[in-house]
Amino acid sequence: MGFVGMTEMSLRSHTRRFRRMGGLALVLAAALLLLAACGGGGGGQTGGSGGSDGGQTGGGAGTSGDEIVIGVIGPLTGDYAAEGQGFKKAIDLLVEELNAQGGVLGRQVRVEYADTGSKPDQATLAAQELVSKGVVAVVGAYASSETEPAMEIFHEEGILQISPASTATHLTEKGYENFFRVAFLDSAQGMFAARMLVQNLGAQRVAIIHDNSTYAYGLAEWTRQFVEQEGGEVVFFDALNPQETDYTALLTAMQQANPDALYFTGYFSQAGLLIRQARDLGIDIPITGGNATNNDEVINTAGEHAEGFITTTEPLPPDLPYDKARDFVARYREKYNEDPVSIWTAMAGDAFDVIIEAIRQTGSTDSADLIAYLRDELEGYPGITGPITFDNKGDREGTIYAAYRIENGEFVLYIEPQF
Amino acid sequence: MVGRFTERFSTPGARRAGTALALALALAFPPLTAALVPDNRYYLELGFHFWQYAILGLSLNVILGGAGLYNLGHAAFYAVGAYTTGILNTKLGIPTLWLLPVAALTAALFAAVISRPILHLRGDYLLIVTVGFAEIVRIALRNNVFGLTGGPNGILGIDRPELFGMRFNTPLHFYYLSLFFVVLTVFIAVRLERSRVGRAWNFIREDELAAESMGIDTTRYKFLAFVTGAALAGMAGNVYAGKMTVIAPESFSFWESVVIFAIVILGGTGSIPGIFLGTFGMVVLPQLPFLRGLQDARMLVFGAAMVLMMIFRPQGLWPSRRWSLAVGRGLEEGGPAEGGPAQGGPAAPTRAAAGGGGQ
Amino acid sequence: MDIFQQVVNGLTVGSIYALVALGYTMVYGVLKMINFAHGDLFALGAYLALTLFGVTTAASSGSGWLALLVVALAVALAVGAAGLAAERIAYRPLRHAGRLPPLVSALGVSVFLQNGIMLVWGARPRAFQHNLSLEAGLTLFGVRISAMQIIILVFALLLMVALYLFVQRTKVGAAMRAIAVDHETARLMGIDVTRIIQLVFFIGPALGGLAGMMVGLYYHQLNFTIGWSYGLKAFTAAILGGIGNIPGAMVGGLVLGLAEALAAGVSGQWKDAIAFVVLILILVVRPTGLLGERVAEKI
Repeated sequence: MGFVGMTEMSLRSHTRRFRRMGGLALVLAAALLLLAACGGGGGGQTGGSGGSDGGQTGGGAGTSGDEIVIGVIGPLTGDYAAEGQGFKKAIDLLVEELNAQGGVLGRQVRVEYADTGSKPDQATLAAQELVSKGVVAVVGAYASSETEPAMEIFHEEGILQISPASTATHLTEKGYENFFRVAFLDSAQGMFAARMLVQNLGAQRVAIIHDNSTYAYGLAEWTRQFVEQEGGEVVFFDALNPQETDYTALLTAMQQANPDALYFTGYFSQAGLLIRQARDLGIDIPITGGNATNNDEVINTAGEHAEGFITTTEPLPPDLPYDKARDFVARYREKYNEDPVSIWTAMAGDAFDVIIEAIRQTGSTDSADLIAYLRDELEGYPGITGPITFDNKGDREGTIYAAYRIENGEFVLYIEPQF
Repeated sequence: MVGRFTERFSTPGARRAGTALALALALAFPPLTAALVPDNRYYLELGFHFWQYAILGLSLNVILGGAGLYNLGHAAFYAVGAYTTGILNTKLGIPTLWLLPVAALTAALFAAVISRPILHLRGDYLLIVTVGFAEIVRIALRNNVFGLTGGPNGILGIDRPELFGMRFNTPLHFYYLSLFFVVLTVFIAVRLERSRVGRAWNFIREDELAAESMGIDTTRYKFLAFVTGAALAGMAGNVYAGKMTVIAPESFSFWESVVIFAIVILGGTGSIPGIFLGTFGMVVLPQLPFLRGLQDARMLVFGAAMVLMMIFRPQGLWPSRRWSLAVGRGLEEGGPAEGGPAQGGPAAPTRAAAGGGGQ
Repeated sequence: MDIFQQVVNGLTVGSIYALVALGYTMVYGVLKMINFAHGDLFALGAYLALTLFGVTTAASSGSGWLALLVVALAVALAVGAAGLAAERIAYRPLRHAGRLPPLVSALGVSVFLQNGIMLVWGARPRAFQHNLSLEAGLTLFGVRISAMQIIILVFALLLMVALYLFVQRTKVGAAMRAIAVDHETARLMGIDVTRIIQLVFFIGPALGGLAGMMVGLYYHQLNFTIGWSYGLKAFTAAILGGIGNIPGAMVGGLVLGLAEALAAGVSGQWKDAIAFVVLILILVVRPTGLLGERVAEKI
């Protein structure tokens, strides 16, 4: 910036410029005020309900006027947008019905959504946004890497947080009282999958492919461990890049290892591609997948190649002895004209329902009361994905898995639910 | 109009006053917002992000704005700083803040190693190679390289920074901590800009061949730009790790590099006040309530806004006079422009004449 | 046999990269600008084809091949038009603004297109359904080659050769080459520079759109972020071959595809990293790419 000659800096011009600076200061200050004012109105704006001024949302103990505000944090945009949108759809559906029936404790429920953009650093912003809006409790987030930074903020505020989808084991090992999850841990599914592969399918040489997401990698690691425990051998363990569509090179390499069966722990969209490309390459071993592959998109993408594909998953709603599950899927289809995005969509619904149940039972909207209730009293709450009970770490107790096989273009029960 | 506005800052006195005012406003932001909204923590968090990206923008500005090296992989240096902090803190228990110089040094060292063989690449070739390096770093982190980076989970449980027994843990603390580093970075950037090194960078950016024939060791100065920029980004990585307590590979994706790159250009390449405006546009604007209210369409509007900002201010929101010189010359070379130079163009030559004497 | 299979896999992906890379390289040739939105124009082509195939399969149960022709034509025209629009709105005002502003403008267009696609077609991956029977394949010495792989390879090669001849043998092509060397002189020679740039912004995206359609047909599935991943790879391929050089884009695409496939044979997790390592090594040795000319850059 040394372009200007020093001589130019005469005292007179200096003071004149200083006066101009005063004007600038005013402009900047005004801008700042505007910005802050914007923030005050923000709560009301995004909520979009009623004429109540958002200015007061941050005030009281988690309430805005008569409404109870519940936060949802998740990836509404970015790489995992499909899952975040699934959260939103499920919860929009449930809250609409709840309010139509008169809400809870005689008050209406309003849901505030905060977008993490599928990025960990935006997760803290989203979390802080929800805190400022005075939420009673929070559902979310999706990936463990965005749940964790958000956890820090909700923990400091003592706000109840229930993650529907973050399965990383360590999350509940931090000893945060306010944190729960309705997702099952990877280890139980890993054990179920290993038994199925080794015992039911008689595979001694197992190939495992994940997609390097926290969830898929965790499940792959657990499965590897249990396959070896069951006496099998993991002959191929690698990851595909979910951003891409061509996995033939990886499959060709897998073929070299000569496995008896393949277990894919990633998502349905890649599963469909993987199956099709494997069969195109002439690979005819059984292909199986984790609970993120339990989706009709697999059949849509892989076509007739999908025949014989097996998925290990929480039992499908129709196979559960709960009307609620069947009901949820039916209403979801009716409203959105599509199936729930994944098991996590149903889990998000469960997380929301559990919060409402706690409010109803305790008659309170104080996070401490809700947390105490969920930890000590809630037992076997009939959720969409099965009975919900939390252990003292905040993990969900009791895991149920079943296996489904695609036959004639439909998922058919292959191994009965094991309670 | 904005051109004339920025011109007012062209004297050192005005600039100093402007800087003092900006700093005063930055310091007063928390109490101001606290007085205005019932809960200002969201704005403090946003403020932290603003400072954080401002540091990243300033550090890239050394490379891109200073020496004119197209680096679209800046997130790699940020990642190295953050992961250095995360690994040493969780494995060896060294306090986070102590690791600040270590993070900066490691990032600088990393930059030194990778930049050596690629400095002779020009323009867009350098651009893609930096993208390549950043992708390699991200993939290595994701694949748990040397068993240190924790794979897709990243590193968890990093300690919050502590200073004289005080633990930084609220948005307010981090707001001021990051502000401190912004001030430090600006100080370093200004010192560099006015130094012999800064002038050499300018020369190289404007005309590398001429610079070389004047006896400037261009390779050495380019190398220095990379290393300095990386060290500053590494420092930002340290603060980030301490704030988030968890770092994961997704935080250092290609998109992060794109955002930092756009901050520098949107603000006005080479200009320090411009960086802050660019950061405001790229980081704060999309998070403000009125844009957040758009929900799913938020990023759509953001993309359109990026295009509009470039069309109406191709030289950036607050261009540096030196850089506008370069753009001005580009205009002459490109032939009669179609309305492009209307804003900043005519003023450039006079300022250049004034500048000639000043140096 | 494994290695030959990987070569076939790599050539298939590589020829798609090459087709997309053509768009980058043509624009770069005439404007010295990286059109970061090109990947998303490619994605737009893929999604348009998805919708059009949905319509045509519903309308005619008969000849799928006729439908393919109609869809291909429509996709090429529509994506070409989108490319023209992007040029007019986002790039033309910046033609004389130096090299960096158009880059950021292009990134803006890319963000806009990607999110536009997400809003129109949804964030969920979409199955790409069509009634073409492309399942046939043959096995040669243990190497599986599917009909679609052959179609992609042949189609990509034909398009590239046609484009090459167009640029080398026609008058318009000569004008393009002249502009690539010097806008001002070209203008003095009576070439309508703006018209030629528009042509480039039509042909490049049209080819990219066709590549998008082929990706849909081949993989049966689309995702709204597909433009980023293919775009980055194709751009890498263009640079690898020597940007601004049409045969270079072909060579770069095929080399990158091969490098990736062979790398995946070693490790799927490290595949992308290895591809970039290859890129960096090649550029360190040949700073202007495989077929790039050794000329000092004009700023």
